[in-house]
Amino acid sequence: MRILLVEDDLMIGDAIENALNDASYATDWVKNGLTALAALDTQTYDLVLLDLGLPGKDGLDVLDAIRARNNPVPLLIITARDGLDDRLRGLDAGADDFMLKPFAIAELLARMRAVLRRRGGNAQSLLDNGEVSLNLVSKRASTADVSEVQLSSREFALLQALLIRPGAILSRSELEDRIYGWGNEVESNAVEFLIHALRRKLGSHVIRNVRGMGWMVSKGV
Amino acid sequence: MDGFKRRLSDSVQSQLSVALSLAILLVALLAGVFAFMSALDEVHEMQDESLRQVAVLFDRQHMTLRYPGAERLVDDDEESRIIVQYLADSAKAVGNDDVSIPLPFPVTLADGLSTLNIAGENFRALVRTLSTGERIVVAQEADVRDKEARESAWHSLLPFLILFPVLLLVVGDLVRKLFRPIATLSAEIDQRDHQALHSVDEQHLPSEIRPFVVAINRLLKRVASTMETQRRFIADAAHELRSPMTALSLQAERLSSMPMSEAARQRFVPLAQGIERSRMLIEQLLALAAAQSVAQRIETAVSVHAVFRRVLEDLLPLAEDKGIDIGVESVEDRRVVINELDLFILVKNLVDNAIRYTSTGGRVDLSVEPTDSGVLIEIKDSGPGISAEERALVFEPFYRNLGTGEAGSGLGLSIVAAIADRIGARVGLSFADEVKQSGLRVCVSLDVRRS
Repeated sequence: MRILLVEDDLMIGDAIENALNDASYATDWVKNGLTALAALDTQTYDLVLLDLGLPGKDGLDVLDAIRARNNPVPLLIITARDGLDDRLRGLDAGADDFMLKPFAIAELLARMRAVLRRRGGNAQSLLDNGEVSLNLVSKRASTADVSEVQLSSREFALLQALLIRPGAILSRSELEDRIYGWGNEVESNAVEFLIHALRRKLGSHVIRNVRGMGWMVSKGV
Repeated sequence: MDGFKRRLSDSVQSQLSVALSLAILLVALLAGVFAFMSALDEVHEMQDESLRQVAVLFDRQHMTLRYPGAERLVDDDEESRIIVQYLADSAKAVGNDDVSIPLPFPVTLADGLSTLNIAGENFRALVRTLSTGERIVVAQEADVRDKEARESAWHSLLPFLILFPVLLLVVGDLVRKLFRPIATLSAEIDQRDHQALHSVDEQHLPSEIRPFVVAINRLLKRVASTMETQRRFIADAAHELRSPMTALSLQAERLSSMPMSEAARQRFVPLAQGIERSRMLIEQLLALAAAQSVAQRIETAVSVHAVFRRVLEDLLPLAEDKGIDIGVESVEDRRVVINELDLFILVKNLVDNAIRYTSTGGRVDLSVEPTDSGVLIEIKDSGPGISAEERALVFEPFYRNLGTGEAGSGLGLSIVAAIADRIGARVGLSFADEVKQSGLRVCVSLDVRRS
């Protein structure tokens, strides 16, 4: 995979470039907007990492220019500006995600994978949070201790709902919505029952209860 | 009465209305007195004139007098009649009253007008020497004359009595109309969002207030530019502070994955912690600056439970590290109209604080309850709590609870206070367990206006 990194800060750029190379991405690093546009004209990239505070041409202008050329390349904004306006403008202008400095390399890589996965039309057949992985085709789940357990379709639906956004808390009614279709009568305690079953199969630490709020799977790293 | 006085000295409109009304009253009184006096005089003169006319008529027609005696004419009004008699007949006066004629006038009366008391009654009398040499007296009762004069004078006052209240109403209405632009202006400014700093339209204002409004507009412009400078400074500072921090933490992260000796790794851990601590401090400083700035914020109906959930999603790892049981106690969700980010940062800082100061295996509870005036958000922990005398101090920036050894930034509660101050929320601190004097209970009450 080929990544274009647009970052003017030498220390940050150096760290990201090395980390991307370690993660087996081919990385081209440019330090201003004009070079970035020139690079995009001559080379096809799988993803662009774009800093907003660039010298000469602002990151948002670069983004506008990229989209004005009908270039659909997936794009992740990296910025130190936390203004809500900038964030909304960036997403409106066609950025796929937004990362606020400072961030950890692991988080950057995870977000990049998520953007690529979304852009790939959800082609990936595996959901993974580092603790538990779920095969979307075979409906089998595995953890470090348990391998390849077959899940019932409701257990699968519940675990899938949680694994789509690891770290997010889902309430009982949200989980019920995911498990039951329209018009299906919801059985009381069904969610607790399914979670109990999943914990028995995969280990009790896999799904965590947040008192008064709902359930989640860990964000992992 | 005191309130009225204050209102009077506060309001130009009232002052003007009262002053104009008093002036009108004074002028009306003076004009009334003058009109009354002159009307009285005029009527008296007319009455004297009619006495004179009777005398002249009598003289010119060479009339002779025949006293009516006891019989009465049909239309005769004893009170208002005009009496004509020979002065010489006064001696023949029979009765001692004012009814039977002739009346006892003094025979020595000189020619001309005089007012005299005859038989207990005041008479206005005109004595005239006829061409025949005889002297007649033409007289009328003074009381009747005065009564007529007064009636006539009162009538002359009637227009004033009618016009005075009308004039007061007109003046009041006029003053109110003249002051309407000011009332509309203040209503317009009052209804503004506190972020709306655009100029006030000065086109249709009276020239007296225009300079004032122009000055206000200049002030508004200055405030807007100060706010813009402040906003830009915070944005720039955020960028300038975060970039080196990012570089530092990314390099440290890369370093940690390198092979290194055990001694080096032992040194590396506090280094990474120091970087993390600086990063936190910068984030908190920026959050405090943002909380204190008055930049535009969009307010929507926000679910408090949704905010709780986002806070828990963020802070659960921190709580799990310390084995703290954290959760939400309230079953019913509530909605408040507020900027979601404000509420999120407020709750997050309180919960973060609660987790930091609660020892391993402790408990943190979040809840939201409806109150008479709005909602009450409560965050309770099983930590040591804050003593009553320390409670006012903890909202100061960089204040640190001594002896806890907690490596916080010391800004969390300042951020909470700044946000609460801006959104008009009240933050109360108490012990979660009043008997044992332990545990912190933070209550944030939001007004119903915002729900």
